[in-house]
Amino acid sequence: MATGIFNRWFGRKSGTSTANAKSRLHFVLVQDRAGLQPEELNSFRREMIEVINKYFQIDEENFDISYQRGDETTTLVINSPVTLKRPEKVRPIGEGKKNRDKDNKSIANKK
Amino acid sequence: MSKENGTSGCEVLVVTSGKGGVGKTTTTATLGSALALLGQRTLVIDADIGLRNLDVILGLENRIVFDLVDVAKGKCKPAQALIKSKKSANLYLLPASQTDDKDVIDEEQFCSLLEHYKSQFRFILIDSPAGIEQGFRNAASGVDRAVVVTTPEVSAIRDADRVIGLLSARGIESLLVVNRLDPEMVKRGDMLSLKDVQDILGIEIVGLVERDESVIVAANNGEPVVFDPKSKAGRSFEKIAKRLMGEQIPIENPVAPTFWQRLSRTLGV
Repeated sequence: MATGIFNRWFGRKSGTSTANAKSRLHFVLVQDRAGLQPEELNSFRREMIEVINKYFQIDEENFDISYQRGDETTTLVINSPVTLKRPEKVRPIGEGKKNRDKDNKSIANKK
Repeated sequence: MSKENGTSGCEVLVVTSGKGGVGKTTTTATLGSALALLGQRTLVIDADIGLRNLDVILGLENRIVFDLVDVAKGKCKPAQALIKSKKSANLYLLPASQTDDKDVIDEEQFCSLLEHYKSQFRFILIDSPAGIEQGFRNAASGVDRAVVVTTPEVSAIRDADRVIGLLSARGIESLLVVNRLDPEMVKRGDMLSLKDVQDILGIEIVGLVERDESVIVAANNGEPVVFDPKSKAGRSFEKIAKRLMGEQIPIENPVAPTFWQRLSRTLGV
């Protein structure tokens, strides 16, 4: 309690809540202004995750969508922690050429 | 900057907010009083049918005979429903009715109602109900501009933004009043600043009113703060009135009290 009084008297900055308020407000205002329903936003999020999942190993829990405001435009920011491309099957050296020739032949036949 | 007022020379403003309890009625009553004190014949209209309060803030609650629904329905002459203020000969009140039915009149009827009074007044301020239903739509009919009141709080700002959008869709320009700002909390980072609010909402600010106990005392007495020479809020409302009249007064820069001011406040000195 003494520290509370101390902080009040000496005006120590205690709040980070305004930073939260600003980003939360920005989030809801873009929704409200764009007219996106919460369900639409959820669909968007699910679909984005699906698409990214096709190419990357995605960390879904830490996937985040936010809206950053510049002077004239609003930017959709998608934060998606990923590992690089899905690990390929490792082929022994030499076999690659054989398979490639096989593939080329089949392509040629198709023509 | 303001729309053409036509031949009547009367400016009609709706005072609205979306969110309830942020200070619409106080703003209507006090701003109206400020304009009257500056020599402008002003009519304030309580458009909150069923929940009238403008009369109480102005201390005129025991003088109501007819109300705006009576005028709209032709049950009395328009002049009969007007109540002159106790504090200024330039200020008149048209009270709301206390009937339960909020949809008893529509936008067209409200506009016709305004026409009865435009020739007699320089300013008409309409105290809108909270929300965005029929009452709000009525109050925002036939107006030149809107005064949108908000506090520096998340839910008030969100609702204000919505209302600004709805008004803009009707071609009505909004001016912002930021109410109940606490400079100490802003300094601590616990309250959004004036600049924050302006950045978020993106409209012109016509006034800033700091949190001030004298406003509550004024409501207790039925005498708006502009009549109290010691009230800081009263001075803020005076400036808003002057800005509406076209004077270029820069918006105040709220300053948190110094250590010594806070100390004396804590000690009750």
